[in-house]
Amino acid sequence: MPARLLAIAEPRPEALALPTAQVAQIADLAREAGICLMLLDRHGLLAWHDAAAPAPFSKLLVPLLRRGRALPENADASDECGDARETCWTVLEGLSVHAVPLVHRRQVVAYLAAAGRTSAVADGEELRRACCQARIDLSWLLAAAGQVPAIGGAQLASLVRTQAALLVQRLRQRDADREMRAIATHLSNAYEELALLDRLSRGMRLGRNPDDFLRQVCLDAMEVLGLRGMGVVVRGEGGIWRPSLFGPIAMPLDDVEHLGDALIERLDQLRKPIVLNDLAADASLQWLQARARRLLAVRLERQDRLLGCLFGLDKQEGEFDSVDCRLLTEIAAEASIFLENTRLFDDVHGLMMGLLHSLTSAVDAKDTYTCGHSERVALLSRHLAEKIGMDRRTVERVYIAGLLHDVGKIGVPESVLQKTGKLTREEFEEMKKHPLIGAHILRNIRQIDDVIPGVLHHHERYDGRGYPSGLAGQDIPLFGRLICVADSFDAMTSNRTYRGALPLEVAMLEIRRCSGTQFDPAMAEVFLTTTIRELRVLLEEHQTASGRLLDFQRLLRSR
Amino acid sequence: MKSRTVLLVDDEAHIVHVVALKLREAGFRVVTAGDGREALAAARRELPDLLITDYQMPGLSGLELCQRMKEAARTSSIPAILLTARGYELDEGESRRSGILLTVAKPFSPRQLVATVHRLLAA
Repeated sequence: MPARLLAIAEPRPEALALPTAQVAQIADLAREAGICLMLLDRHGLLAWHDAAAPAPFSKLLVPLLRRGRALPENADASDECGDARETCWTVLEGLSVHAVPLVHRRQVVAYLAAAGRTSAVADGEELRRACCQARIDLSWLLAAAGQVPAIGGAQLASLVRTQAALLVQRLRQRDADREMRAIATHLSNAYEELALLDRLSRGMRLGRNPDDFLRQVCLDAMEVLGLRGMGVVVRGEGGIWRPSLFGPIAMPLDDVEHLGDALIERLDQLRKPIVLNDLAADASLQWLQARARRLLAVRLERQDRLLGCLFGLDKQEGEFDSVDCRLLTEIAAEASIFLENTRLFDDVHGLMMGLLHSLTSAVDAKDTYTCGHSERVALLSRHLAEKIGMDRRTVERVYIAGLLHDVGKIGVPESVLQKTGKLTREEFEEMKKHPLIGAHILRNIRQIDDVIPGVLHHHERYDGRGYPSGLAGQDIPLFGRLICVADSFDAMTSNRTYRGALPLEVAMLEIRRCSGTQFDPAMAEVFLTTTIRELRVLLEEHQTASGRLLDFQRLLRSR
Repeated sequence: MKSRTVLLVDDEAHIVHVVALKLREAGFRVVTAGDGREALAAARRELPDLLITDYQMPGLSGLELCQRMKEAARTSSIPAILLTARGYELDEGESRRSGILLTVAKPFSPRQLVATVHRLLAA
């Protein structure tokens, strides 16, 4: 066999899963004492030796040991540690080997062995034959052997034993390190998952745009799972399945839709995750292999009802496994809760808004002259709230407060509401009750109790001369100060029993004139930044808004 | 470039293990401590480039640790990241006075924490 091949065939210590550096260190130590360090595999075959050891070992002894099983038959080299023994034997007269089994995890992983010159190497029949076989000159060998310092058998045994014990200790340490690392890596992944689920559940604010939420879910899942693409399929307008795909993976829209349909169809039947680590092998999704190799898809569901699916494409490293599957299922469970809650929220919110509109329509119907007043005040109040820079949710609450501000007029006699002439003192007292009545009507609706101050205090004046409480300045609740401007403006610009509508420009001047007396100057100032054109657009919108009642009636019919 | 040293302090050993592993993988030198006092000694000895400490620890809290480090001239310029329970809000002035650059709420993503450390130490 060519020498080069032999060299390749010669295993290194790491082939026996032993630490190379430490073995080399022991070999250096041994060599200084004239000893040749060797490793036998667990079957007792010579696996490695110190090639730099003195010639009698490297040139004569090693080839001899290599010819068969190095360990003598009497040393039982079975895998069971109980049977593996420390063994010492003389290979050639004067040259002995001491071998100690390295037992790790109850298994003999190898033998640490060392050859030493334990007595004089004398010329003899056996030595001559060995030299002949190894093709080395006998007298050269004898001379070389004379150079090797002698070592006692007990000393040799002690050295091998000590180093074997250290080596085993090192193996244990290395295993413990690896285990610790594996646990830490595992734990780290668990932390990533925990942080992700925590982030998702905190992101599940009701009223949040579902598209934004799902996009974030996909981006987060893609990062934690290490994917090239992450997608979601949910029902869109008209109940049609609508897929979206995020991430660096590129795919034409047609393909995304095709994939979404295929996944929904399969998950509808399957009721468990789809794990495809080789898309080429899947008959119905084979066409996808130009874009992706692996796919994982899980159901979005509530009580077995399919809401859609989440799917991941192409892990950056390795195949989809049960851990990925479990994590994506958990993410899907969180997302499903959000989707379901959003749907319920939308339904309930729609129902509530419908009821509020019906209620205000009923009020406005009582007083035909103020037809649409509540709706317009709601729109104007919302407009002002937006201009002030209130957040989306508060703007919405202002709208509701505007819508309901006159609800108390239900309790005011129609004779008063529809009177064309000037109200008597008693009639005016009657009229002044409507904010209180309104607050009273609404007090039991927990969902809108935050708008009640707006209803109760929309007739307060900034100078404190308003009703019902005579509050002044900043003591008047914000919603009250805000609706007051919108209410007065609409009252001036619409036909009333006692006068015709004022032009918008005149009404604006009036708002300016009463800033600081009737109105909060800050509110008036912001309101006055509205252009006439803006106001016209806004009031035209009212026509559209009236249409919402029809929407609501349609909603009720569809149930 | 000499690798930057991070002093990592938490009385929960598993957090120390995980974060230390991730920081080492990212090329940082990591010194760990299991409580505030041990950390204070390590800070004086190692003069780390950054301190990452849990807030809630027996004995010396994370905040007190930062304040003590701030008081000593040798360790006063070492910036800190404070790991807190979700919902815990630290007074902004107090955290600035204590050398705390930012707080990270648990449960946090180790990967994002390492990214943050990279960003802080690169500047």
